[in-house]
Amino acid sequence: MMDPPPGVEDPRAPAVNGDTNHVSKKLKLSFITDSEIREEFAHHQSGIARINNGSFGSCPASIIAAQKIWQLRFLRQPDDFFFNHLQRQILHSRTIIKDLINADHVDEVSIVDNATTAAAIVLQHVGWAFAEGRFQKGDAVVMLHCAFQAVKKSIEAYVTRAGGSVIVVHLPFPVNSNEEIIAEFRKGLARGRANGKKVRLAIIDHITSMPCVVIPARELVNICREEGVERVFVDAAHAIGSVHVDVKDIGADFYVSNLHKWFFCPPSVAFLYCRKSPVSPDLHHPVVSHEYGNGLAIESAWIGTRDYSSQLVIPEVLEFTNRFEGGLEGIRKRNHEKVVEMGQMLAKAWGTNLGSPPEMCPSMVMIGLPSRLGVLCDDDALNLRSHLRDHFGVEVPIHFQVPIDGEIGAMDGDGCVTGYVRISHQVYNTLDDYIKLRDAITQLLQDGATCKMLQTE
Amino acid sequence: MAADDDENPKPGSNYITQSELRSEFSHHDPTIARINNGSFGCCPATIIAAQQRHHLLLLRQPDYYHAKLLKPSILHSRRLIQTLINADRVDEISIVDNATTAAAVVLQHTTSSFSLSSNFRPGDAALILHYAYGAVKKSVQAYITRAGGHVIEVHLPFPVKSASEIVLEFRKALRTGKSNGRKIRLAVIDHITSMPCVIIPVKELVQICRNEGVDTIFIDGAHAIGNLPIDVKSIGADFYTSNLHKWLFCPPSAAFLYSKQTSDELMETATAWMGTRDYSAQLVLPEVIEFVNRFDGGISGIMKRNHDKVVEMGEMLAGAWGSELGAPPEMCASLAMVGLPICLGVKSDLDALKLRRHLRECFKVEVPIYYRAPLEGEVDDDSVTTGYVRISHQVYNVVDDYYRLRDAVIKLVEAGFTCALLSK
Repeated sequence: MMDPPPGVEDPRAPAVNGDTNHVSKKLKLSFITDSEIREEFAHHQSGIARINNGSFGSCPASIIAAQKIWQLRFLRQPDDFFFNHLQRQILHSRTIIKDLINADHVDEVSIVDNATTAAAIVLQHVGWAFAEGRFQKGDAVVMLHCAFQAVKKSIEAYVTRAGGSVIVVHLPFPVNSNEEIIAEFRKGLARGRANGKKVRLAIIDHITSMPCVVIPARELVNICREEGVERVFVDAAHAIGSVHVDVKDIGADFYVSNLHKWFFCPPSVAFLYCRKSPVSPDLHHPVVSHEYGNGLAIESAWIGTRDYSSQLVIPEVLEFTNRFEGGLEGIRKRNHEKVVEMGQMLAKAWGTNLGSPPEMCPSMVMIGLPSRLGVLCDDDALNLRSHLRDHFGVEVPIHFQVPIDGEIGAMDGDGCVTGYVRISHQVYNTLDDYIKLRDAITQLLQDGATCKMLQTE
Repeated sequence: MAADDDENPKPGSNYITQSELRSEFSHHDPTIARINNGSFGCCPATIIAAQQRHHLLLLRQPDYYHAKLLKPSILHSRRLIQTLINADRVDEISIVDNATTAAAVVLQHTTSSFSLSSNFRPGDAALILHYAYGAVKKSVQAYITRAGGHVIEVHLPFPVKSASEIVLEFRKALRTGKSNGRKIRLAVIDHITSMPCVIIPVKELVQICRNEGVDTIFIDGAHAIGNLPIDVKSIGADFYTSNLHKWLFCPPSAAFLYSKQTSDELMETATAWMGTRDYSAQLVLPEVIEFVNRFDGGISGIMKRNHDKVVEMGEMLAGAWGSELGAPPEMCASLAMVGLPICLGVKSDLDALKLRRHLRECFKVEVPIYYRAPLEGEVDDDSVTTGYVRISHQVYNVVDDYYRLRDAVIKLVEAGFTCALLSK
């Protein structure tokens, strides 16, 4: 999985006729090698099968080094850096992102800390609309049942407490096709609007976190438009570097993705895309600085003295991805292929199934855990996760899928499958990582272990 | 070097030596006379290294780090802050990115009509100092004015001769503000104003606020910690914030927010905005305490020497330029406002910025400049000082830094320079 493409010469071979320029032009195909990749991630703890890139991402050594350089530039002469360099560099980063995501204007791209902050920006705007009477009590906001916890909190703070109502749409899992998602979403939206409520905002994940599934975002955005939903916010925390991102094609009003998950940035940094609209001037960063009123992107670029270095390494990150064949797209494709391959290997070994078909998997896959392990609640999932970390050196998150009334859900030879692992694949992963997981679970089964027993550790 | 510092530590002492000190700050641009610790602070090499260790620990195995290491590390830092500021309980302390963030959290909490504990009604008032930091003023506009609140700005004198002048003006402004029967829901008071830089007698002002029925008092002590002793119980405010990266040697950036009445909702607001981030700047408090204890007298010794030195340098400059300090020594912490020669013609905020840039680019002196507009009734006849430098002193500063500033200004004066000559 990390072998160099066939037929490419070793870039370290001496140049023919000493004409290095000519040779290096020819060897434009000299991509990063396996051993260079290992070096880039040598700081990862050895002995751990790190199959959870989805939670906290990863950052190569070159980028850590680039970040240090930016940090030292600030520390060396902060006033000069602040007055003469910072804003220009952030603009440069924003421009790169704009091109990556196919946004029209760089004004539409703001850099923030993470998707949580982005959600707060959009929801605070909704909160003011309620407070200032543009939205009426009872107007609704739609969210998915599996929305990220911090987003749920923001909805509570800015919508519920402001008198708005919340429509929660449950999506099926395990799931077999986009059509199932689309049908459920349509139903859920219609149900919620049954009282003739005006739906002011829909918050849709592009890739749900737990359980992890790629949502047909473009189609859901279209449904929202058809059903008169005023604005759509796509929470795509996992998206960039993981699925293809074209914000114009998706057509949402707001779109956020973390850059430290699948785009190799250090923790933590995200972009928030806001399509130009009459409400653009009313979007504000919750932390107010002297830039207040100058547009969200400018406000976000100065929220007081901080370490902005994770935002400044975006050019270096782009360079890093271009050391791989096919750049970011190439990385994404290979991650996807590999994670599906590994997922299928595990499902076969355990006698279970994937939680969704391959085309609905990004660089992560949900795989059913054998029912005999008895994952019967969230605590079981947590305990099992800790056990895998502490006793087997495997880092992988585990999801407890609540059985839905009247539905059987997935089954294996021994009963109902209620536990799923979410495996990730990023460029540093090796086959060995997944074998370790496979064998750990197999071992537990052989020992007759269940989550109940792990509880007493 | 300051004349009274020994090149070698006292026999038997383990205090930091001059050469160790130079080495701790060897990453500073050596060509610059860096007399502006007040704006962005500083971070010794030892602390940078400690931060990098934390950072690598996170990157090494982030799941384990978040599950097992992060919370205890943050708690440890919070406990150290609790001790430093004499708070009763550690749950009164939270760590945020900077004072600007803390201000936004407090303001949103105060006015949130979504807040069950908020009594805020349109027409209610908030009180701030006219010299409040720009970002805080904007924050008040964004949260309070927008929610229909009325803002009372308290004008304080500058230059100022004593703390009692401040107390008098504040009392007057508060009475006037209340005179229409307005309810003052919130008072935001600086502990050390930024520009112009002056120590505010917060304890007295808090008392006055309580007597006048102000609901909530928030002290913006952005500069305070590491500059003067902070005793939050004695000050008696409801909220208090200070940056840890300005005068307490933390890397950018971290600040604490003290809340007398812990509010779940306030904490939720704060965390709802924040999410996953790099916490490493918040985690180096233990190493910072070790660092300051390498100095004679620890943080108290550092504060005292910084103060004495900045006053000494301020008076040296005032003497050389024929001007005065903007405030008496007891109202200066580790910063001092020194009048610039009037002939330099600082006539606007823009002039001040341009002159600052000129000093940076042509003389390699980094010092912020304040434009003090003439008051109504003051004759604008070139006898009133309108430009002040704000000099800082931190442990890395040397006397030469201030001589360079002195000489740069003298050179400008001798060359007949005025701000009007500077292009945009």
